[in-house]
Amino acid sequence: MANNLELKKQHIDYLSKMPENGMGYQLVDITLKDGKELKKRIVFNSTYLQLKDNEKIMKSDIKTIKIVEN
Amino acid sequence: MIRKLYPSDTQALLSKPETGMGYQIIEARITGRSYKEKFCVYNAQLVIDLDSNFKGYKDLAFKKTFSSVLNESTLLNIETSSIQVISKSRFMNLSENLVPKIKLFSATEKTNKKRSSGTLGAKDSPTRYAKENEVFVRLSAYEDDKRIDFINKKLKDGSYTTTEQDYKNCYSTNDDPVDRYALPNDEKIKWAFYIKPKTSDLLQEGVVQPDFGHEGGGIEAFFENGTSNNTYTEKREYGK
Repeated sequence: MANNLELKKQHIDYLSKMPENGMGYQLVDITLKDGKELKKRIVFNSTYLQLKDNEKIMKSDIKTIKIVEN
Repeated sequence: MIRKLYPSDTQALLSKPETGMGYQIIEARITGRSYKEKFCVYNAQLVIDLDSNFKGYKDLAFKKTFSSVLNESTLLNIETSSIQVISKSRFMNLSENLVPKIKLFSATEKTNKKRSSGTLGAKDSPTRYAKENEVFVRLSAYEDDKRIDFINKKLKDGSYTTTEQDYKNCYSTNDDPVDRYALPNDEKIKWAFYIKPKTSDLLQEGVVQPDFGHEGGGIEAFFENGTSNNTYTEKREYGK
């Protein structure tokens, strides 16, 4: 698998109830606990956050996830 | 050359208008240089120099999946503050020969793959009830696809599928589902989940629009309210 991060169960449960942006993926805005924001990121199967090359993020770093309206 | 932007430059470009659908023509200064150069940027990430070799590099880039080209590309170090998006009219005046297009197929190839060419995606299409005996297929890389409610045997709210016919067209023509359905996936599609909605279930059906460097042209069906219980009928391996 590419550089993907499996999300926490609470985030998976939340995303599983939210609409998709296309077949099998959702676009999300993420706020990290240090305040950094990640915009328009892709999550596959409501579970795997696609990270950029060499990006190091732990699932415990994530504070909030919000669906990007399409 | 084919390169990719640093994430910070991608973010900067995402806040600027596109030159055309899926791309931006920009002028920017490579760090350390005193002059600006022109580049074509796809999906605010993939960069191809706008020079006499543009067409060759563009063709090379779009022979592969967008994500694999990105993975193989080196980073382009430009000064973020120097980035300027060029409008389509100005760009056309500058270089009529270099109009970039995300087109992988000729019209003939598109016909051979049985792809559609409508301009309305599912969410822009009218809502209708499912027809009697209509079947939809959800393609996925994951056997435990989260949009399938395996307990109530239904599709969850806000989920996409394609029609059974379009799915058959996809695999019978040996088409690439990632390109046909314009998916951002790195992973191979392995599973097909069959949905036979009730005639009381609502959906929107349209044509997949270009995205993520893919051409689209498959049929997509969006079920805003999911489907009724016992409408998920079976799971098969892709193409089986």
